[in-house]
Amino acid sequence: MNVEEKRKFESLVALSLSTLAAIFGLFWLVFILGDVLIHGMSALKLSLFTHDPTPPGVTGGGLRNAFMGQLLITVVATLIGVPVGVLGGTFLAEYARGTRIAQLVSILSDIMVSVPSIVIGTFIYAILVKPVGHFNGWAGSVALAVIMIPVVLRTTEDMLSLVPWTLREAAFALGAPYYKVITQVVYRGAATGILTGILLSIARVAGETAPLLFTSFNNSFFSTEMKGPIASLTVSIFQYAMGPYDEWHQQAWAASFMITAVILVITILGRLIIRWRYK
Amino acid sequence: MPILQRKNPVDLSFSLITAFASFTVVLLISGIFVVLVRESSLSIGKFGVLKFLTSTEWNPVTESFGAATAIYGTFITTGIALIIAIPAAIGIAVFITEISPNFLKAPIGVAIELLAAIPSIIYGMWGLFTLAPIMSRYIEPALKSSIGKVPLLGTLFQGTPMGIDILTASVILSIMIIPFTASIARDAFNLTPAVVKESAYSVGATKWEVVKDVVLPYSKLGVFGGIALSLGRALGETMAVAFVLGNNHQITSSLLNAAATITVTLANEFTEADTDMYLSSLFYLALVLFVLSFIVLAIAKYFLLRAERKYSR
Repeated sequence: MNVEEKRKFESLVALSLSTLAAIFGLFWLVFILGDVLIHGMSALKLSLFTHDPTPPGVTGGGLRNAFMGQLLITVVATLIGVPVGVLGGTFLAEYARGTRIAQLVSILSDIMVSVPSIVIGTFIYAILVKPVGHFNGWAGSVALAVIMIPVVLRTTEDMLSLVPWTLREAAFALGAPYYKVITQVVYRGAATGILTGILLSIARVAGETAPLLFTSFNNSFFSTEMKGPIASLTVSIFQYAMGPYDEWHQQAWAASFMITAVILVITILGRLIIRWRYK
Repeated sequence: MPILQRKNPVDLSFSLITAFASFTVVLLISGIFVVLVRESSLSIGKFGVLKFLTSTEWNPVTESFGAATAIYGTFITTGIALIIAIPAAIGIAVFITEISPNFLKAPIGVAIELLAAIPSIIYGMWGLFTLAPIMSRYIEPALKSSIGKVPLLGTLFQGTPMGIDILTASVILSIMIIPFTASIARDAFNLTPAVVKESAYSVGATKWEVVKDVVLPYSKLGVFGGIALSLGRALGETMAVAFVLGNNHQITSSLLNAAATITVTLANEFTEADTDMYLSSLFYLALVLFVLSFIVLAIAKYFLLRAERKYSR
């Protein structure tokens, strides 16, 4: 083999390996999603949504309490996390644009996005569960909100930065104070982007389990009382999957299917909106 | 534009509110650190820093706690996950940027990113019910009878293949971090100017030579950043490994044994801690993890920022 042939052969080998790597990645995606789909669909029953858990051994229970709890915790977390995140992002992109403070907070938020969620769980346990003396739904919501804030803050900052500066100058020229420029001009220009960011952040926290383990804990009864422990789908999946009963495993698969489907639909929707709006 | 708008009272209050909102991030990060230090003070007082980090004993009965086993478990699962994930992720990035036909680029990119959107608890459950049996029945016995017979490497595959072990946990972890590394590497590759690549092609370089000698050197900062970011993610991953690691506090040379990571210890034992010293030691573990991942993530951010600056020039 001469030099040219050797180089061509090397290239062929390396490129084939890269193609294999891509197939490797897609293989896992199909494998995991397919597995969740097959197991989940076969275990999906109406009673899952309409019944509360029954004692082990008694058939016919569902996870109504966990669906309700998950919804409550996520909604409250969104109500706390979104305003703080959007306003914080506004400060970085508008009032503090280009300053060192904005840069520092932006970098810290990026780090905060990836801080282990279980550490956030222990932190919230120390400040909201230990002083109260028992697990409670509020603590779970706050834990999720803490995860949400940096995500929403960074997307808001990025989306506001995309709005052309000349647009603001046009509004300033009409004599508008800065807060009016922000709320009536800049927010409108960036609304789609910010909403998409919020959607994606909800998808992100809806699947979180670790921060709920020591905050909202679990509750095998139907409860909407945020002052007490409250069930969530993710913690129920953890408990049921680790448990010894086959019926529990079936319900865990069904719940996994539901949560994966919702999160993937939101994520794909978010990406489609971004593509449609910004390209 | 001044940060605080003093002329208009509404503007002043709006700027103050937004300033406070963005300051919550700083408040939260410092708050986490301060609270964790305060909660673990009992354990810090008794075991100190060096002794806690190096002691392999984790015994709630005698109230003797050390983090070495959990730190070992964290590092070994993360390390093996990175060894599997890095080549795969770079291969995927090369495929998307250089090989794939245009109409496939976006769909494959999105598909890989969907892997990142699947909640970690789904990975964990899939690992327990689907991957662990496959590992114990087919892959681990195969590894044992092939690599397990090689003198030095053989120690990695001693013991009975149970499926609930370091190897299975590492494989799941690697699947989880591939998307992070791949999407950052892809973005970094894409920033290589077409002119530079074309000039390499024009002197007769093959596609692989262009990737190896032009694209990779040009984008190495971004790729390093991506790897460090996935390392930070992997260190703190809880639910994906909690199902399949077994939470067994031991330092073992065999990948077919159960182990414990910091996150798995916290997930399994936090609500069961019945004494103050036990709980305090668990908070101490959380503090160690927080500091560790903060440092790794800060390094990742440093690389990514430097890469960004280089490209924008």
